[in-house]
Amino acid sequence: MGFRNYLLKRLGYALLVLFIILSLNFLLFRIMPGDAVSMIMDPKFDLATKEELRSQFGIDQPIGTQYIKYLKSLLSFDMGRSFNTRRLVWDELKERLPNTLTLFFASFITTAAVGISLGVFAAARRGTFAENFVTGAGLFAYAVPGFFIQLMLLMIFGYYWPILPIRGTMSAPPPPGAMAQFLDRLWHLILPAGSLMVISFGSWALYTRNTMLEALGQDYIMTARAKGLDKKTVLYKHALRSVLPPILTLIFMSLPGAVTGAVITETIFSWFGVGKYLIDAVMQQDYPAAQGAFYLIALSVIVSNLLADLAYGLVDPRIRVGGGAK
Amino acid sequence: MSKIRGGNGNNVAQEPPKKLKKVTFWQQYRRKPLGMLGLCIVVVYVLAAIAAPIITQYDPTKDLFLADNLAAPLWMKNLSEKYKDAPVTISKTVDLDGWNVTEGADFSITKTTYDEEDFMLIDMPAASSSGEQDPMMEILKDIYTPEELAEMFGASAAAKTSFSMDFTFPYNYSPPNTFNFTFDYAVEGSSPEATTVARLLIISPSGKEYDIWGMDAYGDWPISYITVDGRDVPVKMRLGLGFFDDPSKIILSEKGDYKVKFMVETDSSTGAKIYITPVKINIPGLLHGILGTDHMGSDLWSQLIYGARISLLIGLTAAFISVFLGTTVGIISGYVGGAVDEVLMRFVDVLLAIPSLPILIVLSALLGTSVWNVVILVAMFSWMGTARLVRSQTLTLKERAFVEAAKASGATDGYVMVTHILPNVMPLVFSALVLRIPSAILTEASLSFLGLGDPRVPTWGRMLQNARGFGAFTVMAWWWLLPPGLALTFLSLAFVFIGNTVNEILNPRYRERS
Amino acid sequence: MAMLEVKDLTMYYKTLRGYVKAVDSVSFELEKGKALGLAGESGCGKSSMATTVLRLLPSNGNIMGGSVKMDGKELVSLSEEDFRKEIRWKRMSMVFQGAMNALNPVHRIGDQIMEAILAHENVSKQAAKDRMLNLLDMVGINPKRYNEYPHEFSGGMKQRVVIAMALACNPDIIIADEPTTALDVMVQAQVLTAMEGLRKKMGLGMILITHDLAVIAQTCDDVAIMYGGKIVEYGSAKDIYLKPRHPYTMGLVKAFPNIAAEKQKVRSIPGSPPNLLSPPEGCRFNPRCPMATDKCRTEEPPLVKSQKGEQKVACHRESEIEEGVDIWQ
Ligand SMILES: Nc1ncnc2c1ncn2[C@@H]1O[C@H](COP(=O)(O)OP(=O)(O)OP(=O)(O)O)[C@@H](O)[C@H]1O
Ligand code: SF4
Ligand SMILES: [Mg+2]
Repeated sequence: MGFRNYLLKRLGYALLVLFIILSLNFLLFRIMPGDAVSMIMDPKFDLATKEELRSQFGIDQPIGTQYIKYLKSLLSFDMGRSFNTRRLVWDELKERLPNTLTLFFASFITTAAVGISLGVFAAARRGTFAENFVTGAGLFAYAVPGFFIQLMLLMIFGYYWPILPIRGTMSAPPPPGAMAQFLDRLWHLILPAGSLMVISFGSWALYTRNTMLEALGQDYIMTARAKGLDKKTVLYKHALRSVLPPILTLIFMSLPGAVTGAVITETIFSWFGVGKYLIDAVMQQDYPAAQGAFYLIALSVIVSNLLADLAYGLVDPRIRVGGGAK
Repeated sequence: MSKIRGGNGNNVAQEPPKKLKKVTFWQQYRRKPLGMLGLCIVVVYVLAAIAAPIITQYDPTKDLFLADNLAAPLWMKNLSEKYKDAPVTISKTVDLDGWNVTEGADFSITKTTYDEEDFMLIDMPAASSSGEQDPMMEILKDIYTPEELAEMFGASAAAKTSFSMDFTFPYNYSPPNTFNFTFDYAVEGSSPEATTVARLLIISPSGKEYDIWGMDAYGDWPISYITVDGRDVPVKMRLGLGFFDDPSKIILSEKGDYKVKFMVETDSSTGAKIYITPVKINIPGLLHGILGTDHMGSDLWSQLIYGARISLLIGLTAAFISVFLGTTVGIISGYVGGAVDEVLMRFVDVLLAIPSLPILIVLSALLGTSVWNVVILVAMFSWMGTARLVRSQTLTLKERAFVEAAKASGATDGYVMVTHILPNVMPLVFSALVLRIPSAILTEASLSFLGLGDPRVPTWGRMLQNARGFGAFTVMAWWWLLPPGLALTFLSLAFVFIGNTVNEILNPRYRERS
Repeated sequence: MAMLEVKDLTMYYKTLRGYVKAVDSVSFELEKGKALGLAGESGCGKSSMATTVLRLLPSNGNIMGGSVKMDGKELVSLSEEDFRKEIRWKRMSMVFQGAMNALNPVHRIGDQIMEAILAHENVSKQAAKDRMLNLLDMVGINPKRYNEYPHEFSGGMKQRVVIAMALACNPDIIIADEPTTALDVMVQAQVLTAMEGLRKKMGLGMILITHDLAVIAQTCDDVAIMYGGKIVEYGSAKDIYLKPRHPYTMGLVKAFPNIAAEKQKVRSIPGSPPNLLSPPEGCRFNPRCPMATDKCRTEEPPLVKSQKGEQKVACHRESEIEEGVDIWQ
């Protein structure tokens, strides 16, 4: 029951954040400097378009009605039409979402795998090159502008040794055959996902190493060693297992950051995804599109936060089995 | 492990307890090599920011077309075969003193001004039918008027006055991408039916003549601005070249002394006054300065140097505002407690749950791009970590005896917060401040890189954006990409080093993770 | 031959500022089924001693010399792998200081006990489980709770789980490092009684490390008093508790409320423990000793049989101290 309460609490909290973000989204696009109508309305729109926009934004209605209407429409993913393409924003986002998710998962999984295993390795081998490497990589990840590293990688592998594609999610035209297409997509994924991994595995490795070292200094590790368990059991079953909750939390807590990183990455590698869509929309002052993309990104961040809470609860028995640490 | 200092009580013959010397912050800081390295780097940046106008002579954004687009740095000459004898910008204005008159030296040639511009005035006398005469023409002249004659035989039939002048310039490089000549030109005082023909020729060292510009004026010709660019289609047509041919590559393919020749010929019976401004010649270099040029031909080195100003300014102010906010909220939340604490901390939670870069993108697009907007936005979305840190420290301070005592003696909450809590959280705040700077700098750089920075100021993020957007990759202009990236990297590394060192000294037990 | 013989054991921690002489030439013996108490101020090297014997030192702890023999077999030179398989837990187990945290929070307590059994004995899972349930029962924990996590138990119960775990492989010696300090007094007594009962029943040898001389007096056969990484007095518990011969022990005994004569004034020894990075020359206690002479400041007193009692004492002026005189007055 403790777990259920915990879950309900987190869920309620996520809903609150969602509500606040929605309101913010509403306000942001309405308190823009100048008159909202003139900002949104392009004079060259024809009358029907203007009418449609008017009803889409409900600009003539009182702000309260507008707000309710807005909430309803966003909750049903009705985000209006893009000024630019005149298509439904949600349709456009739906096309891009799979690409963003692919990039996201590919980079995220490789980053987590490389980062965590390096961190464990470094903790197990204190004072060796591995540890120095991990410390250095952590510093690197914190202080070096990621997009700069990505640009460098793009220059090296896309131009100097042009062995990887420099833009897009797949070749145009796509190669024939499902397998070939799959490989082609994978091929295009290497640079964006790989560069994301390069710029962020360091902080993972460093964090894992630090929590591992902290765990290795705990009394229960001493107990495990005293029990005559072999090194591997001590390291993995006791130390690693006990740092899984914080690492898992980290995994999910860095989801939002990864979403953010994807925005820049998609821009650099012209990846046909939601992040690039947001930037393009913002650059072209396509407000419905920008609003929709922002809403989708914010939503995914909330969901990943919720997942983080859930995962934490599942992994840490202190939460899963009621009570809480004494 | 605690260090045990001299005991007390019964020790009889023990050495007197060592007096603890007060070690100043600086004395401790000085010993940390990484901290000192960071400080040195920051000092270098600050000096560069202050002395920018001395270090570089160009304005980073206003001085355009200093050389060709994407010109390489001068030192590339020594590194790459491709740039071995690439041209540097040749830019000169040839006025009356520079020209060497080869035909019509006896005409009156004077300097004058017209519409506040310097002109040279060539006073061409009326065409006299001197010299060998065509007997047939002599007969026809009696029958027809000169106008009718001109109509029948063309201007050439009439007598002409010619003028020509040239000047020589050396060109010892590989061909440039283009060249251009600009000048104003006018004809006055010509008889209405007369034709005045002007030509501009380039004569290569081997003697080939290239007719790159010409103008046939009937009667007077008002002042017009002439610009001849090597890439212009009319130039290609005059030279009989194809659309995709490159005149500059053909004309300037030789090395040696080139001649530029200007000639006028008129058959005006009243003579003609030719006005021509000093001719500006520009051959945009493919090599320029310390870091070459960007897509607008402006100087990258000066963009890099002036970039330090913006980065430092934005980093410092944003970090300052952010930490100020965080400290205020943290102290109030921790000290006042209760509902205030609850509300403030929930607010912090919510802000932390909002993806900061996307909202920064949206906001900076809505608010417009200015340096101050960026500063404020970056600050607004980065103070939460500090608030949490300061709050937890305040919570422990609140329980301490001196705070209790102050409260008991009737001090107001505000007074206690400012005089008792604040000084005690200062060490924490200080290192939070230093560690906030690099992330503020990097956030600003990301925004600029995405094109959401202030377009009027040169920033490193924008340099990187331009490099990406305007072809640095295709020409492998790594000198455009590396310097701003490395500048950012070193600056933020420096602040991280300083921050960690400060943290080690001031808060030995706290390690801020952010 | 005693079951455990420790002779001239020396262990230093290497630090940036030099060696911390935490265990310096320590010798003692433990007979089968007997209990040895190890007492001394905080930081005098008691835990270091225990971890040295079990070879659980941190990477900067170096055994500089001496020997640890079990049934005549040298342990210091035994390979790490043999030591782990043959000695740890099987022959010698340990209840750690701060045993509250000795249980891994993410594993069920039953699993943690069974793990120790399975690591050393080639028994079936079921057999291990049966033994585990039995052990829990023995220490007074409802065996049905074997499936729970450490945080679901109170401090005293956790401590009992730890004790059950220490008994899992039927060791010959159990080293208990302040097994009860974190518990409140009532629970302390319970745990100690339970442990004593089990120990007697199973014929275990024990090294009990504690600050509390009274506890030692109640449970131990022998006592070694440590000061600054060295043993300064070593003998039977009764002798030392009732007739301490070393100035430091005298002060220590006085510092604890006496169970026999309750009304005695409690007072602690002035001064602070030596810095083991650079301990004082001569007798390490000399800066705080009311009887210190020049000899004490230059010459180290050996641990020898007392002239006026049964125990061994390391003090130059031991023979001068008359019985019953309070040198700390
Ligand atoms: N890993 C280590 N590195 C360096 N010095 C250490 C280390 N561990 C302990 N020490 C030092 O060794 C000395 C002995 O420590 P030890 O933990 O053995 O004392 P103790 O008698 O068990 O104290 P307590 O009663 O507080 O548990 C202390 O001065 C301590 O500071
Ligand atoms: S040797 Fe000297 S200093 Fe040490 S205890 Fe004995 S009398 Fe005191
Ligand atoms: Mg201890």
